[in-house]
Amino acid sequence: MEMTDQIEATAREIGDRVRPQIEDAKRRLTSLNDKAIDYIKENPGTCLVGAVALGFLIGKIARRV
Amino acid sequence: MQSQEKNPPNGRATESDGVHTIGQRVDRASDSAQEAWTQTRGAFSGLTDAIDIKGRVKRRPYGAVAAALGLGYVIGGGIFTPLTARIVRLGLRIGVRLAIVPLLKDQIAGLASVLADGESGAGRGTGKGHKAGK
Repeated sequence: MEMTDQIEATAREIGDRVRPQIEDAKRRLTSLNDKAIDYIKENPGTCLVGAVALGFLIGKIARRV
Repeated sequence: MQSQEKNPPNGRATESDGVHTIGQRVDRASDSAQEAWTQTRGAFSGLTDAIDIKGRVKRRPYGAVAAALGLGYVIGGGIFTPLTARIVRLGLRIGVRLAIVPLLKDQIAGLASVLADGESGAGRGTGKGHKAGK
C-alpha cells in the first residue's frame, strides 16, 4: 500500500516535471508549423521549384543506390 | 552627308532603301515577337489559372509541396528503384493495417456472434431432442 502510494507520487512528480516541457515543445512545433505554412503561402513558386529540385535530387540518388 | 545624299555613289540609294526595309523588318519582327510573347503569356496565364497553383498552395500548402517533391522524384528517375519499392511496400502495409484489418475484425466478430448464436440454438435444439428422445 505504501509502495503503491510512493510509485503514484513519483509518477505524479515526473508528470508535473515533464508536462511544461511537453507544452513548450508543442507550442514551439505549432509556431514552426505556422511559420512554414506562412512561408509556403508567401513564396509558392520558390517552394514548389525547390521541392521539385529536391525530389529530382532524391530520385537521382535513389537511382544510383 | 548632304553631298552623299545628293550624289550617292553606286548602290547608295538602294542601300538607304535597304536600311529602310531593314528597319521595317526589324519593326515587323519586333511586333511579331511582341505578339508571340503576349500570346505565350496569355496561354501561360490561362494554364496557370486552369491549374490554379497559388490557390492550391494556399488551400493545402504541404500537399502542394509534397506533390512537387513527388514530381521531381519521378523526373529524377527514381520511380523504378528499390527505394520506391520499399516506400510502396510500407504504404501498402500501413494501408492494409488501417483499412483491411478493422474490416476483417468486424467480419470475424460478426461470424463469431453468428456461430455463438447457432451453437446456443443447436444446444437448445439438441437438449430438446434429448428430452424428446428420452
